[in-house]
Amino acid sequence: MTEETELNRQAEFEDPVPPGPSGGVVLLIEDDSAIAEEIVGELMARGFDVRHEETGDAGLTAALLGEAHVMVVDRLLPGMDGLTVIETVRQRGIRTPVLVLSALSAVDDRVRGLKAGGDDYLTKPFAMEELVARVEALLRRPDDTRSTKLRVGPLSMDLIERRVWRDGREIELLPREFRLLEYLMRRPEQVLTRSMMLEDVWQYRFIPRTNLVDVHIGKLRRKVDAPGEEPLIRSIRGTGFLLRVPD
Amino acid sequence: MFLTELFRTATFRLTLMAVAAMAGVMVMQFTLVYTQMEAVESRRSTALLRGEARLLAQMTPEHLEYVIRKRATDDLRLVISSAGLFDASHAVITGDLHSWPKGLVADGKSHNIEIYPEEGAPYPLRLLAEPLPDGTILVLGRSFHLLGEQKLMLRHATLVAAVPTLLFALLLGIVLSRRALFRVKEMHEAIDLIMAGDIHERLPAGKERDDVERLAGSVNRMLDRLERLMDGMREVGNDIAHDLRTPLSRVRAKLERALASGGEREALEAAVGGAVDNLDQCLGIITALLRIAELESSRRRAGFETVSLNDLGADVVDLYEPIAETEGVTLVMQPTAMPVCLNGDRHLLIELLVNLVDNAIKFTPEGGQVTVSITPLDSSVCLSVTDTGIGIAPEERGAVLSRFYRSDKSRHVPGSGLGLSLVAAIADLHDATVAIEAGPGGRGTRVNITFVLQHP
Repeated sequence: MTEETELNRQAEFEDPVPPGPSGGVVLLIEDDSAIAEEIVGELMARGFDVRHEETGDAGLTAALLGEAHVMVVDRLLPGMDGLTVIETVRQRGIRTPVLVLSALSAVDDRVRGLKAGGDDYLTKPFAMEELVARVEALLRRPDDTRSTKLRVGPLSMDLIERRVWRDGREIELLPREFRLLEYLMRRPEQVLTRSMMLEDVWQYRFIPRTNLVDVHIGKLRRKVDAPGEEPLIRSIRGTGFLLRVPD
Repeated sequence: MFLTELFRTATFRLTLMAVAAMAGVMVMQFTLVYTQMEAVESRRSTALLRGEARLLAQMTPEHLEYVIRKRATDDLRLVISSAGLFDASHAVITGDLHSWPKGLVADGKSHNIEIYPEEGAPYPLRLLAEPLPDGTILVLGRSFHLLGEQKLMLRHATLVAAVPTLLFALLLGIVLSRRALFRVKEMHEAIDLIMAGDIHERLPAGKERDDVERLAGSVNRMLDRLERLMDGMREVGNDIAHDLRTPLSRVRAKLERALASGGEREALEAAVGGAVDNLDQCLGIITALLRIAELESSRRRAGFETVSLNDLGADVVDLYEPIAETEGVTLVMQPTAMPVCLNGDRHLLIELLVNLVDNAIKFTPEGGQVTVSITPLDSSVCLSVTDTGIGIAPEERGAVLSRFYRSDKSRHVPGSGLGLSLVAAIADLHDATVAIEAGPGGRGTRVNITFVLQHP
């Protein structure tokens, strides 16, 4: 019960619109014009520059120009298959991050998509927010630094001693809460969806209830944002969560 | 047209073969009997000729000459058909032979020799030439007439016996083939009906007394099984349609109300938000169905690795502890003292346990307890999830594992209703058995997944 009031209290801090765009050029290779229109519209509204190609061959040509910062490629395309496009692009040494879209949800298909050189895999149907969050995540992939200390606003984390402080106050965290906060701190000011967290923090993909992540975040939030402190963990309506860096 | 069709039946061909075999046997029989008869007749002729010659040789030359001459004009020639008396230089003395038969040797033995009469066609005779003490030669002959007659009789008898027999066999073959043709036609018609969609139609199997009827019986039993499967699928289809229709009609109602509301922003947002939730529920059902279909069709074990059940349980409990806490349910893990490992797909096993724990928490009221326990048995290990919830009635325990079954008591709880079918599909892939029983003290539910351990 206390948890619910906690969630309600936090809901007051929901941002109606996700934070501003990070920009960048997105190359979309998708043959379904209805979906493509939706994606292009949504990404443009978020400030992305979108190039859209409908066939594998045209998409490959555009990809080889190397102008895109991130690519969104449908798995099944007329002419050249989506995976072949990605493989060819990778063979040419182009490291542009790729998000694979597919109507195929089998584990095998996902593995094949990632093996071909895809960086993330999204199964249709998906929420637009999910797509945008994943594109943003690909654009701002966390630095793969080996640093043992993380720092975001008032939060600091010692990865070796497994300890966290907010300003001077030490926060006692369970191992699972520590892992979740580390994930957030590596991606500050970035919208993270529930399924992204389940996939990345717990490596689970088939979870029957969606509010599972909310409960975990709720627990963490209660420890991170003490009463009277400025809330750092924000809920983004219909999408997920975001770790805010105060000015 | 009918004949070609008839000829193409197996029965008719078999009949034809049998008729040919019968005819062959008859020809062989005829040949054998005739050969035997010929041999007997040959021996008999020789004996008769010898006996007669010996008898005549004892007569005085005058008397003999008289007898021979008389015999030549006599009509009674049944036993000895020809007789002649020749001198030492083979010249005719008397008798019905006009010259010395060509090639005949006077040695007292019988020979088959062709006779060329002065007029008329040549004919064969069995001849015997006996030299007499006075230097003359006695020649006696017996015709093959009797043998020829016997042969004719035999042939006649064979034909009289064979023709009706063969004709009868052929007729029987035609009748039987027509019957077979008719039965096959009946089956064809039944099959055509089934193919046209009448799945209740069956092949005529009678009392399954012969091979064709037994075959029809087997096909019918196969059709029974297929029909049951199709009924099951239809049922599942109906259930899916029903379970999808409920949230979809809610979506429709919400959107309709939003349209009528006059565009007040808050009302619109609430309606659209609710609609999206309901659509998510529909998508959840579809995703779960696809997952089950995928699991049931792929018997793939490529992703199998060694999985520790203690770790698995701990991971799932770690994931679900906060939510159990929120709902006022205690989530307890009871690991084994000795770690138990099995060969399986870790992600699928997590999915299995997550579904069990999720269900258990959903159906356990506040203050209850959900326990994940691992119990090693002799050659197997049991992964159990026990709750103190509403329980499942004994008669419903089998049904909850099938798709979409939802106990009436749980109708109000949201969910795809597919969790336990998913569990069953994953367990099946791991050759594990799923059993549902009442919890300790007859309260709540205990689901046991029993894995067989392979000992190296």
